[in-house]
Amino acid sequence: MARVGVFVCFCGANIADYVDVPQVVEEVRRIRDVKYAVEYKYMCSDPGQGLIRDAIVQNKLTSIVVAACSPRMHEKTFRKALSDAGMNPYLLEVANIREHSSWVHQKDKKAATAKAMDLCRMAVAKSIANEQLHEISVPVTKRALVIGGGIAGIQAALDIADARIPVVLVEKSPSIGGKMAQLDETFPTLDCAQCILTPKMVDVASHPYIELIPYAEVLELQGFVGNYKVKIKKKASYVNFKTCTGCGACWQKCPVKVPNEYNMGIDKRKAIYTPFPQAVPNKPVIDAEHCTMLQKGKCGICAKVCLPGAIDYQMQDEIIEREIGAVVVATGYDMWDPTPYEEYGVGRFKDIITSLEFERMVSANGPTNGIPLRPSDGKVPKNVVFIKCVGSRDEAKGIEYCSKICCMYTTKHTILLHHKVHDSHAYVFYMDIRAAGKGYEEFVKKAQVDTGTTYLRGRVSKIYKKGDKLMVRGEDAQIGQVVEVEADLVVLATAVSAPKDNPELARLLGISYDKYGYLSEAHPKLRPVETAKAGIFLAGCTQAPKDIPETVSQASACAAKVCGLFAGDTMKKDPMVSTINNEYCSGCQNCVTVCPYGAIVTDDVPIGHGSKELRTVAKINEGVCQGCGSCVAICRSMAINLAGFTDPQIINEIVSI
Amino acid sequence: MKKLTYFPGCSAHGTSEEFDSTLKLVLKTLDVELEDIPDWNCCGATSAHVMTENLAYALPMRNLVLAEKLENTTMGIACASCYQRMKVTKVHMDENPELAKRINTTVVEEGTYQGTVDVKSMLQYAYEDIGLETIKSKVTKPLTGLKVACYYGCLLTRPKNITKFDSPEYPVSMDQICEALGATATEFDYKTECCGASFSISNTEVVENLSGQILAMAKESGAHAIVVACPLCQSNLDMRQPDIEKIQGVKYDIPIFYFTQLMALAFGYPIDQLKFPKHIVPVEGALANIGKVEPVPEKVKKPIKAVEAESEVK
Repeated sequence: MARVGVFVCFCGANIADYVDVPQVVEEVRRIRDVKYAVEYKYMCSDPGQGLIRDAIVQNKLTSIVVAACSPRMHEKTFRKALSDAGMNPYLLEVANIREHSSWVHQKDKKAATAKAMDLCRMAVAKSIANEQLHEISVPVTKRALVIGGGIAGIQAALDIADARIPVVLVEKSPSIGGKMAQLDETFPTLDCAQCILTPKMVDVASHPYIELIPYAEVLELQGFVGNYKVKIKKKASYVNFKTCTGCGACWQKCPVKVPNEYNMGIDKRKAIYTPFPQAVPNKPVIDAEHCTMLQKGKCGICAKVCLPGAIDYQMQDEIIEREIGAVVVATGYDMWDPTPYEEYGVGRFKDIITSLEFERMVSANGPTNGIPLRPSDGKVPKNVVFIKCVGSRDEAKGIEYCSKICCMYTTKHTILLHHKVHDSHAYVFYMDIRAAGKGYEEFVKKAQVDTGTTYLRGRVSKIYKKGDKLMVRGEDAQIGQVVEVEADLVVLATAVSAPKDNPELARLLGISYDKYGYLSEAHPKLRPVETAKAGIFLAGCTQAPKDIPETVSQASACAAKVCGLFAGDTMKKDPMVSTINNEYCSGCQNCVTVCPYGAIVTDDVPIGHGSKELRTVAKINEGVCQGCGSCVAICRSMAINLAGFTDPQIINEIVSI
Repeated sequence: MKKLTYFPGCSAHGTSEEFDSTLKLVLKTLDVELEDIPDWNCCGATSAHVMTENLAYALPMRNLVLAEKLENTTMGIACASCYQRMKVTKVHMDENPELAKRINTTVVEEGTYQGTVDVKSMLQYAYEDIGLETIKSKVTKPLTGLKVACYYGCLLTRPKNITKFDSPEYPVSMDQICEALGATATEFDYKTECCGASFSISNTEVVENLSGQILAMAKESGAHAIVVACPLCQSNLDMRQPDIEKIQGVKYDIPIFYFTQLMALAFGYPIDQLKFPKHIVPVEGALANIGKVEPVPEKVKKPIKAVEAESEVK
C-alpha cells in the first residue's frame, strides 16, 4: 500500500492568488493513497523543505508529490530534500500548478483550481508507480577540444589549460587570432587590439597543456559527453613546421600574388604566406589553389631559397584522431555581404567600403600604413560618411536582428578617422545609437564632442556619383527633410552574420542552429553557454553577435563549465534513460532512426539461451541518452522502457483524471 | 514569324505615337507579328488603383481574360503604367485564387481568369525574348559615337517581387540594348529616380524639379541623349525641358528617345519614318554625334599604393 505525501505551495501570491490552495489540499486528502497533505507559503524555502523531510520520517511516506512551480525550477531542490530524509530522490513527482495553471488561467480562479487538482491527482497516481532510481556514473576523458582560434577560442583554451586540463585547439586558417587580429583599436578604451591579443596568442603556442592544430578542420565527432572521439583533418601546408625557421625567404621570392584576406583584399599576399607578421604559429603555408608549382608543376622557387629545406610539395592532408571529453565551439562570425544594397551602388563605386576594410586601412600594420585612402584614386578622404545598420535591422534586404557591435565600432571609426586625418569630417547616418555597456555611452558622447562628427538620424536611400565625389542622400528625420552629403569615402557598417559553415558544423557535432545559422544555446537565460547536447559549449559570436568583453566572458564561462564537467573521475547523470528489453526487441531499428542524440546502436545477441545463432537488437548508450522518449513512442514491440516515465506511470496518470 | 499579344495603352494612340509606330517597325525587322487584344480597355492607371481595389484589379483583369482568348502566351505592353497595373493584377491573382474569383465576379461576360498569359513590358520582351544577339544581328547602321543615358523610371523594374526583371535600383537591360545598337551607355545614377509622373498636370513644379535633376545628372554623365521606355517619362523630360532650362538657367538640349526609335534607326529605317518631328527638343544635335569617334583618353595612373607583402618581411 502506497503512502503518498502531497505538499502544495502558495508560491507567495503567484499560485495562491489564482488557485484556491486550501481547497486543493482538501481535495487531495480524499485520494486513497494520500496519507499526508499540507500547504505552505514557500515550499522551496528551508522551512518548507523541512516540512517535507519531517513528514517523510513521521508518516513513513513511500512517495512524494510537490505541487508548485515547474520542475525545471526546483525539482533538484526537492529531490535533495528527499535524499536528506533518507528517501530515494526519484520517488518525487512535481505537479506544475504555477506555469501550467495559476499563471495561465489568471482570469478564472475556479477553473485554475480545478486544473491544479487534476495535476495533483495525476502526480499522485504517477508517483505510486515510481521506482527507486540511481544516478548513472560515466567515465570522463579529461581533454577538451576547442574549435576556432579567435579571441573566444583562445580565451577558452587558456582558461581550461590553466586548470591543467589538456586542450586541443583547432583553427581552420594558418594562424590563430581571428577577427580581433584584424582590428586596430578596440572600444571603449581604445586599447590596441594587437597589443592585448598577441601575448595571448603566444601563450597559446607555448602552453604545455595546449595542443595547437592550425590549418585544420573538424571532420567527425563520435561518442557522448566525457567520451568523445574527434577526427581532425590537418590540411597540407607543404611546409615542414619542424624545420622551418620562419625566416621569410620563401614569401619574399614567391612570384605569385593573391588578394590578401587579412587585409580584406586591399593588397596582395604571396602564394606561400603567413597571414600577418604576428601570426601564431609564425610559419608559412602554401596556398595550393594559387601555387603554380602545385597546380602546374612549374616554379619551385620557395624550395630553392629555403635553406633548412622545409618545403615539401608532396605533403598530404593528415587525419588526426583525439579522445576528448568536452567541446567548446568558437567559430566566430562572417561579415555580411552588402551587395543587396543596390541603391548604394555597392560594387559599382570603389569608394564605398565596408567597416572591416576601413579598420584594416586605419590599422598601423594595415595595407595603407594606417592612413585611410580612397580606393579609386589613393587620395586621403576629407568627408567620410558612415552608414550604420547595413544589413542589420532590415527585414527587406538584410537580417532582422541588431548586430550589436556596429554602433560602437562606428563611433570608434570616427575617432580613428579624426586621429589619422585631422582636417576630416565624419557624418554618421544612424537609426538608433545602442551604447549599452560599461563605459559605452560615455565613449559615444565623448567621441561626438571630440571629433565634431555630424550624426544624422535616418536611413540612406541613395548614393550616386558626382564628379569624383559620392553624393549620399538620406533622410534627416529630426528635421523631417531629405539631406545630401558630399562624401569622399563611404563606410558601410555591415552586419555581423553567422559563419557560413556553421550549419554543416552543427550537423557533424549533433547540435542545433537557428534560422540565421547561429548555434543554439540550451536556454537563452539560464544555460547560455551550453548546447542541448551534453558536453558541447558555445563561446563568442558563433552563438550570436557580441563584442570582445562579452565574448571573453562567455569563453571563460565555457572553461568553467568544462572544468566542472571534469572535476571528478566520473560524471553523474540523471537515471532517466531508456533501456531495451531484448526479449521484446524485434530489431526493426526504428528507434535508431528517431533518436536525436545518436544514443542507440545495434547489438547482436544469441537467439535463445545458449544458442550460437545471433540476432540483432537495439542497444542504448546510457551516457548519451537524454531521456527524451522518442524511441519509446516509435517502438512497435513496446520493448523500450524510459526510467521515470514507465508505461505504468503514464497509464496511472491518464486513468486518474 | 513569332506572334505577340499587344496592349498599346491609351498613350500609344496619342502622346507616344512615335513609340507605337517605331515599335511596329522594329518588330517587323525582328519578325514578330503583333496581335491586338480585341476590345481592350483602359488599364485603370492612375485613378482606379488609388480609389477602389475592385476596379483597380477588374480593369486589367478584363484585358487579361480577353488576351487569354488569343493563342499567344505573352502580352507585350508599351506603356510602363499599363504594364505595372497588368503585372500587379496578374501576380496578385495568381498568388491568391480567392481574390481572383472575387474580382472575376465583376468581369463576368468576358470569361473566367485562367492566368495563362504572361505579362511583359516591351523592354523586357526585347531583352528576354528577342535577345541582344538577335538585335545586334539586325543592326545595319550602328550608332557608334552616340552617348546615351538610359532612363527606366520608377515602374519598369519595380517592385522587384512583382516585376521579377532586372535590378530595381540599377537596371542594365536598356543599357545593354543600346550598346548592342552600337551606342555608348553612360554611367547614369539617376536611372530609376522619379520624373514626377502625372504631377505634370496637377503640380508642374514637382516635375520641373524632379525631371530637372534627371536632366542635370544625364548631362553630368556625358550623355547626348536620354533613352526611355515609358511614355510619361518621355513627355515629362521632353515637354518640360524648355521650362526647366528657363528655371535652372542651363541649356540642356538633350533629346528624349524611345529605345525603339534608336533600334529603328540602327536597323536602317529612314529618319522620316521615326517621327522625330513629334519631339519638343530637337534631335539633330544629338544624332550628329553618330559616326564621330572620340580619342581614347589617356590612362589614369594606377591609384592606391598598397604596401606589398615584401615589406612585411622582418
